[in-house]
Amino acid sequence: MRRQTVGAVGALLVPLAISAQEPTAQWQRRTGPTQVPVTVFHSPQSANLPTAETLRGGEFQFEISHRFVPPISNGADDLWGLDGPVVNRLGLAYGLVDRAMLTFQRSNLDDNWDLNLKIRVYEANAAGLRFMTAALAGAALNTGLPDRDTFASRNFQYYGMLVVNAMVGEHLALGVAPAYLQNPLVEADSTDHAFSVGLYGQVYVTTQLSFLAEWNLSQARETLEHDAVTFGFELETGGHFFKLLLTNSTRMNPAQFLGGTPYQLKPEEWRLGFNITRLLRF
Amino acid sequence: MMWHIAPALPGLVALSLVPTPASAMVQEYHVDLAADNVVRFVSDAPIEDFDGVTDRIDGYVLLGQSVLSETVGGSDTKFYFEVDLASIDTGIGLRNRHMRDNYLEVNEYPYATYGGVIESVVQTAPDGYRVTASGTFSIHGRERPMEIPCDITTRSEGYRTRCSFHVLLTDFDIKIPRVMFLKIADEIQLELDFSLAPAANTPGGRQ
Repeated sequence: MRRQTVGAVGALLVPLAISAQEPTAQWQRRTGPTQVPVTVFHSPQSANLPTAETLRGGEFQFEISHRFVPPISNGADDLWGLDGPVVNRLGLAYGLVDRAMLTFQRSNLDDNWDLNLKIRVYEANAAGLRFMTAALAGAALNTGLPDRDTFASRNFQYYGMLVVNAMVGEHLALGVAPAYLQNPLVEADSTDHAFSVGLYGQVYVTTQLSFLAEWNLSQARETLEHDAVTFGFELETGGHFFKLLLTNSTRMNPAQFLGGTPYQLKPEEWRLGFNITRLLRF
Repeated sequence: MMWHIAPALPGLVALSLVPTPASAMVQEYHVDLAADNVVRFVSDAPIEDFDGVTDRIDGYVLLGQSVLSETVGGSDTKFYFEVDLASIDTGIGLRNRHMRDNYLEVNEYPYATYGGVIESVVQTAPDGYRVTASGTFSIHGRERPMEIPCDITTRSEGYRTRCSFHVLLTDFDIKIPRVMFLKIADEIQLELDFSLAPAANTPGGRQ
């Protein structure tokens, strides 16, 4: 009788035990995680030189940049240059597609109107090296030159650049940008051709704060005898880049700084400047 | 002890082979990847509002029964969902990168997950239910128990699920730099809207 009771109780409990087991699912993950896009430089430009980074398709970037004309060496009388006057640039860029962006910008130096197209050609993340290349071509029209028709052919400048960027480790981004510029001296009577090599780097101390330096090696020519050099730091937020700069050049647009600068690379010639860009999507 | 149980073995075997009503009808539902699924977060900070969107949600529900009803719930139910965080698009590439690299650290923690059991089901309409889920929500490598209410409606094949709830970034050790506190809110609204379809090889499943 005792055996039969145990058996009956067991028979009742076994199905309950089975149903109390945690249910198991046949589901299995069907796709892997999204691949993160390759990034080298965070911003589409260093101080002046372009990086290989582009806006995403449909994004706008508004820019306002200043270079203070009086050098810091003028001291407190000119508030270390901040009293001005300033060279001002306003720009608007648009991501045509994820790999191509169009930039329209104007500097009040010679009233230089600039339009350029940058195409990100290739990027890779292999063996711990992040690598990105781009090509850029543009044209500029200088409408502020005295004694010349607005659309005189001598007022136009044309340029092209190749951009190669690489990330060394997790914090150092390096760039080289060989360039050609037609008509670097718009004031002159004849057309000249300029070749230059832009070298730049950026140390990302944190994901939001970085230090940058750029040096544009250019051929010395009358009124533009020196290389344009800039140092600075960059603060980035989710939609802004703020760059505070120290430079020997007030020439910001590509057709201007690619030709060089009239200011020597000496402490007496350092000037303050800034770039502020805002990313927008409507 | 074996000799005590031995006489009952035939009965045990017979009973264990006969499926209980619940186990016979267990239905597994998977996220229907072909449907218009949306996972959205909304950040409402003092000087900037923005949202992020993805359709990369996957996972399953085991109902313990063939269909959803007010009797569903408890330990014979089970669910697990995950969202591919690197796929979230805030509309601005730079902000996406900040979100991936600075805050969510998706290289290390690629998914937000929520797994647990169905706590209760209340029918709110002929084809609608308010389901309360109880489980563990995980993001950025941190876990917290959470109860999440969802509204579920039947569709031709499966269910449409809509959930809305809040999380605090600080609860998951996601640090917002001081320079950004006016632009990213600590309290993030999460909204999920996705479809569940019967899994293949389960009763009513797609083959």
